[in-house]
Amino acid sequence: MIQPQTHLNVADNSGARELMCIRIIGASNRRYAHIGDVIVAVIKEAVPNMPLERSEVVRAVIVRTCKELKRDNGMIIRYDDNAAVVIDQEGNPKGTRIFGAIARELRELNFTKIVSLAPEVL
Amino acid sequence: MAKQKETSAMEIDDQSSIPSDQIRNLKFSVNWFWRFSVAAGIPMWSVLKSRSFSSSPATQQWKLGLSMLNRSLSFSSSATNDGADEGIRSGELLKLEEVETILRDVKADNVKVFPIPKHCDFADFMVVATGRSAWHVRNISQALIYKAGSVKQKQKGSKRMLLPSVEGQEAGNWIVIDSGKVVIHALDEKVRAYYNLEKLWSTYASNQDHGVGQGQDLDKAFVKVRPKNNSKKRPSTTA
Repeated sequence: MIQPQTHLNVADNSGARELMCIRIIGASNRRYAHIGDVIVAVIKEAVPNMPLERSEVVRAVIVRTCKELKRDNGMIIRYDDNAAVVIDQEGNPKGTRIFGAIARELRELNFTKIVSLAPEVL
Repeated sequence: MAKQKETSAMEIDDQSSIPSDQIRNLKFSVNWFWRFSVAAGIPMWSVLKSRSFSSSPATQQWKLGLSMLNRSLSFSSSATNDGADEGIRSGELLKLEEVETILRDVKADNVKVFPIPKHCDFADFMVVATGRSAWHVRNISQALIYKAGSVKQKQKGSKRMLLPSVEGQEAGNWIVIDSGKVVIHALDEKVRAYYNLEKLWSTYASNQDHGVGQGQDLDKAFVKVRPKNNSKKRPSTTA
């Protein structure tokens, strides 16, 4: 359940460290975003000497949420943190590696690029 | 009776375009087809509908997920041909050998195949290929989609076409074709160097070997060793 003003960790090596959601893309007045949704976010904290800087506006895909994700087979997945991956307008990830486990729902939502960079798929 | 109207319309079209000696044959074939479809219990509009299916519902169906795949496909292909769709039903739109031959035909450079390790089992194989330009990359993806859709399914006359999901078609520097068991990446040279997929996946493959080595080390580590007494304090002998 990501809404504007939520702070998220960054799960890739793009150079951002912390994001803040400012808008959810998809519908006009959507309240919450879940795993696989695209958000507009501000970089709140960045790694020095990297292309991305603080207070830059980027797009990101949510890959982990504290709110549990339910599957049809009864499986429930819940992570310890809210995390996102920075992408560009075409959906290519800005970073080259992705950290941590990622849900396989992302593949069905057409983020196969992110899934193929991830070390572990749940 | 809308069906009868359709057949008559087809006959009229035929008469206008084709010389008269062929009309009888065509009429016969249309009538035969009509009778056959009635006899087989297949309403004709469904056949026509399946022909006019565009690719988008098929891809949407694919996006619904692998869990839905088996059910929906077995439902759709039960009427026509059971044997031909078996590979497709089990989630194999493209086989690895087919992918390799197509990539050879379209002259994709530096093709590499990686088996995906068990701990992230979203597919079986990952194929990486380089294209010389955005145009070439797009052509590679088009060839694969054509093979999966038109050649394999249309000719066999399956009712619905199931196409692999494609990602990044517009930009053309990294296109991913996700055909279930095999995931194909067609990349630009620069993008391939930037993301370095082969290093990522080859290290995963080699990590498995390392894992075995580490296990042996761990076994040694757990052997009980009496700790050395490094304290400078002398053990109390006076007591």
